[in-house]
This record gives sequence, C-alpha cells and structure tokens, in this order.
Amino acid sequence: MKKVRRKIGKYEVGRTIGEGTFAKVKFARNSETGESVAIKVMAKTTILQHRMVEQIKREISIMKIVRHPNIVRLHEVLASQTKIYIILEFVMGGELYDKIVQLGKLSENESRHYFQQLIDAVDHCHRKGVYHRDLKPENLLLDAYGNLKVSDFGLSALTKQGADLLHTTCGTPNYVAPEVLSNRGYDGAAADVWSCGVILYVLMAGYLPFEEADLPTLYRRINAAEFVCPFWFSADTKSFIQKILDPNPKTRVKIEEIRKDPWFKKNYFPVKLGEDEQVNLDDVRAVFDDIEDQYVSERSEITEGGPLIMNAFEMIALSQGLNLSPLFDRHQDYVKRQTRFVSRKPAKVIISSIEAVAESMGLKVHSRNYKVRLEGVSANRVGQFAVVLEVFEVAPSLFMVDVRKATGDTFDYHKFYKNFCGKLGNIIWRPAGTMPNSNLRKQMTL
Amino acid sequence: MSSTIATDSHGLSDSWTIGERVCAALMPLIAVVEVLILTVTGCFSYCPCISIIDQNHKCTYTAKDFAILADETRFTVEEVEALHVLFKRLSSSLIDDDSIHKEELQLALFQTPYGKNLFLDRVFDVFDQKRNGVIEFDEFVHALSVFHPYAPMDEKIDFAFKLYDLRQTGFIEPEEVKLMVVAILIEFDMNLPDDLLEAIVHKTIADADKDNDGKISREDWKAFVSRNPSLLINMTLPYLKDITSVLSSFVFKTEAKP
Repeated sequence: MKKVRRKIGKYEVGRTIGEGTFAKVKFARNSETGESVAIKVMAKTTILQHRMVEQIKREISIMKIVRHPNIVRLHEVLASQTKIYIILEFVMGGELYDKIVQLGKLSENESRHYFQQLIDAVDHCHRKGVYHRDLKPENLLLDAYGNLKVSDFGLSALTKQGADLLHTTCGTPNYVAPEVLSNRGYDGAAADVWSCGVILYVLMAGYLPFEEADLPTLYRRINAAEFVCPFWFSADTKSFIQKILDPNPKTRVKIEEIRKDPWFKKNYFPVKLGEDEQVNLDDVRAVFDDIEDQYVSERSEITEGGPLIMNAFEMIALSQGLNLSPLFDRHQDYVKRQTRFVSRKPAKVIISSIEAVAESMGLKVHSRNYKVRLEGVSANRVGQFAVVLEVFEVAPSLFMVDVRKATGDTFDYHKFYKNFCGKLGNIIWRPAGTMPNSNLRKQMTL
Repeated sequence: MSSTIATDSHGLSDSWTIGERVCAALMPLIAVVEVLILTVTGCFSYCPCISIIDQNHKCTYTAKDFAILADETRFTVEEVEALHVLFKRLSSSLIDDDSIHKEELQLALFQTPYGKNLFLDRVFDVFDQKRNGVIEFDEFVHALSVFHPYAPMDEKIDFAFKLYDLRQTGFIEPEEVKLMVVAILIEFDMNLPDDLLEAIVHKTIADADKDNDGKISREDWKAFVSRNPSLLINMTLPYLKDITSVLSSFVFKTEAKP
C-alpha cells in the first residue's frame, strides 16, 4: 500500500498524539537510530515575537542538559521557515490523568509513590533554575513500567506566555497557585510546590480541591485555600497537604521541608541520577536567534509500506517460559490463546489470501497496515467472536503471521483456527520432510 | 500408534539436529496421570499452610527477616509477607520443603512439571542467585523486585541480559541467539531450515551489535533495548504493584476449597 511519509530533518513523522491551543504533539521516529520521539510543533510567530524569548532560550538550554529518570528528556530543538519543533523523549505508558479517570482515585501508598517521583523531578529542575509553571496531571506521563515522567519543564512559557496567564488561559486554573492568579511577580518554586499539592489531593481524592462553576468564586477559594479533605484521608495526609496548600508563598512548605516530612519519607527510594552530559546547544541558539541557514528540511514522500519487522528477541520474548504472570493469576486461560504460522509468500499475498478465505467463511474483514481483524458469529450462535491476524517480517522473504483471539469463546476460536488454516493451506509454509505433528502433540498433551 | 510415534521421532531427528538437544521426548500417557495425581496432592498439601499454628511451625522466616527483605527490595513488609504465602504454596506443591524446585516453577507456569523449556530454565537459573539448584525465599523476593513496575529500567535491562547470556560469558553471542530462536520456534510448533535461522540471527545481531565485534555486549544490549522497549515487556508484572490484594483474593479462593 502507498502512504505519505512526512519527514522533519531525520525524523519520520507519524500520528498526532496530543493537541493543545498553541502546540500539536506528533509521534516520530529517528530514522538514524530507530528511536521513538515526540515532536512538539509550534508556530514561530507565537514564540519569537515574545518578550520572554531569552528566558525561554535559557530554560530550554538547561533542559537539554538535564538527565533525570522522572523527567521527559528534551533531545533537540529545530526550526523551519514557519515552525519550531521541540524533539522530546517518547513516553509510551500514557497520562497519569487517564489512570485517575479510569480508577477514580489511587491508594495512599500509590499516590505517595507518584508524589515522591514528582517532587524528585521538580526539585532537580528547581536546583538548575528551571520552573515548570504548568504542573497538572495531563503533564505527568507514565512510562511502560509505570514510572512517572514529568513533561514540559521549561516549556510552559512557550504556550502560556508566563505572567500573562490570566489573559490567555483557556481552561480554569485549578492547579495554579494564588499568587500567580494575582498577576504579580511570583516565585516559580513556591508556585510549583502548590501545584504538586493540588496534584496529590487529586490523586488521593479523585476530584479537585478547588472547583467552582464561576471563576470569581473559584479565585476566592484558591486565594483563601478554602478546601475540605475527604473522610478517607488519614490525619497525617491532611496535615501534609495543608502545609503545601498554604496560600501564603512565604510560609508555604518548601521542597527540602517536604523531603524531611515523615509522610513523604515512607517507602521512599532516592533516585539514582546520572551525570549531566556536555551537550551541544547550537541548535537552541540557531532556533531562537532565527538563523536561516540552519532551518530544518521538511518534506513528504510517498513510499510503499511494509509489515513490521520482528527481531529474534521479540520472538523470544513471546515464550511462555518468560511469562511469570501465572504465578499471580490462576485464572489465566491455559489453552493457548495465541497461534502462529510462517509463510514465504509476499506479505501482500498473505493479506489478500487471508481476506479471501475469511470472506468465503462469511466473516467481516477489516484490514489496515498488514493487520486484519475478522469478526463473526460463534458456532453455537450465542455470541460474537473476533480474531486479529498480524504479519511480521522475521527474515528476508520470511513472514510470521500472529493469530490471536480478540473476543469470544476460546474453544470456538480453536475450531476456527483449525478450519481457517486448513483453507489457507497453500500460503502456510512447512519445510519439506517435516511431519505435520502439531495436532498429534496437542492431542497427547490434552 | 507405536509405529507412528517412531516415525515422528525419526523425522524429528532428521530435521532438528539442534532442536533435538532442546526438545524433550513426547510425554508418555502415564505422565498425564502422574501430573493429575501430583496436582491434586499439591493442592491438598497446601491447606495446612493456611493455619496459623502450622504456618508458624513450618516457617523458618520471622518478622525481622521480612523487614530485612523489605529494606532490600521494592516491597513493604506486608508485601513480603504476602509473597511468603505464595512462596509456601509454590515450594510445597511437589516437594514439601522451604524452597522452590524447578519442577515446581514449571508446574506453576505450565501446569505440568514435565517437558523442557530453555527459557524457564534461564528464569530459574537467574532467580537462583546462590547457584544451589533451588530458589530460596530471599532469592525469590530479590528477583521479583526486578519485575516490580517501579523498578528502574536499568535493573530490568540487566536481568534480561543475564537471561539471554546462556553461557554467562558476559556477552550474548550468535550461537546463543540461535539456540533461543530454535527453542521459541519449537514452542510455536514451527521449524525452519538452517539458512533461515542464520538469516534471523544475523539480522538481529547486526541490529544490536553497535561496536561490530560480532556479539552483543551489555552496552550494545542497553542501547538496543532503548530503541525497542517491547523487548522488556515481560520484565514487568503489574500484579506486584498491589500484591497484598492480588494474593489475598488468591488465598481466599484457595481457602474456600476445603
């Protein structure tokens, strides 16, 4: 199939993964290293005509140097004629916000754990003179292992124009410190601490401490720190949050005091920091000094797509011997839910054969990018079942087709699989001289 | 039946010189009966462990030991105690002692103590830090700590490297990758001729081996995993984030049986 591939310099641009008023975030891949990244795309006019350009430049330079496991890494900054591109680490676990929405609220221990990681990240940046100014759950990402990653340090000024918050904010400032609302100069460190306190409250309560239908009432309540802790907050938790949500920035608890608090210290594991690296800051200077001869190339090209390539270790990681989940979950289905076959036909022939056989069996077919979803009625006519097949290239001209049940009864699925593969026979590759012994083996083990 | 099995075995030996070393012989019918008996026995023998009196009698670990393990790992004392309940069940499923034998781990993961799986062997060997042929409770807790969602990725990367460094030479070598590819294909009920196996291995080594010495060093591995995070997908067990509730419901269901 043909598809349009966009490139920004060495980055192949994929789907949009986030959208805001001032910036769009795209998934991309570094075509030199294969690394996944997120690209924040902004119009140049929004940024370079702003009086805070020098501060933004300084903060982004610092963020390029910073290495911390709980901070989204900023790889580089690029500019074209009309746009600025900020290349960030791609974090694949989603937003903490989605988790709160899904679960309602988190346990005290889990909330404390995320809060500890948040404070580590915020403290690290504050020590380097960078403040976040826009901390909220949507900026807190989770990596594949559930660790917190704070996004957008040093970038909030790019999208909120700092001190002009009152005049440009599109949402209600539920996480914003009272002194920020008053539109006077404020201490970035103290403001970030307040936002951390609101976040902790939201994690444990499942709702905001300050939330009103009309802005004047909301502002009054924030300025007075007028909030109530739900009954399930322990006394220690209440006391801890009250120290953070102190409307007076001068008497509000500071990060070093937070670190000493017994509530914070429970089950706390200090993070191991790597050394900050010596990095080249020429790209930041080029962008913010608007040097034309260093504009990045933007181009689109039409290419022939192919199936995903699976390497040996990705195959190995599928082994049941490496899956320890059954130790903890006795309800896991011991009937194999996954089945596979190999083929030496071209990938497109495999897909078209799958589609043809499925249609001949009266199934509904959805195909996209070497992945096929088949839907039908189960044999006993009681429910629906669905199967997903995906083609992977494992060696030149050698493809593995992964077949797995998406919904429906497991035994229906295995009947389907046997029937389906029987009809697909001509594209399934079996080396010469091999007995088709899998059926016999399965009968023996059953 | 006998003639069919013989033919099948002959076919295997012709096609799978390498596979033959990894693949076990087909399970005789008698083994099925043995598995059933042992599974039931294991289930019954577990029940006394629920009793506080019996548990105190059998346990060699004290609250102080739990606290030490909690300090050394990502688990709280309560979570270590919960893991001990799981450990007791596993370690007495076939042989009622205070350690997990390989057959017991295999029974838990595959529901049969028989057969061969190269990857289960590797998991067992890496868990068994003292190299004494069994997994003791402290080894169990230390190893599971790496699978905790909050464990640093570096620990997971290192653990996976040890799993795949079959001969513990400090490198993942092409021959080791080939053995593992053969083993996984057997698990998939597939086999491939040698030239295709070599192509898969060669492509993977070429992708991963940045210093071009023909094998994967720890540094190569770390860079490779950073580019392909899905390689560590089974190095994280979400259950460990809330182990006390996972295992309490587990124990409750078991308790309901008698």
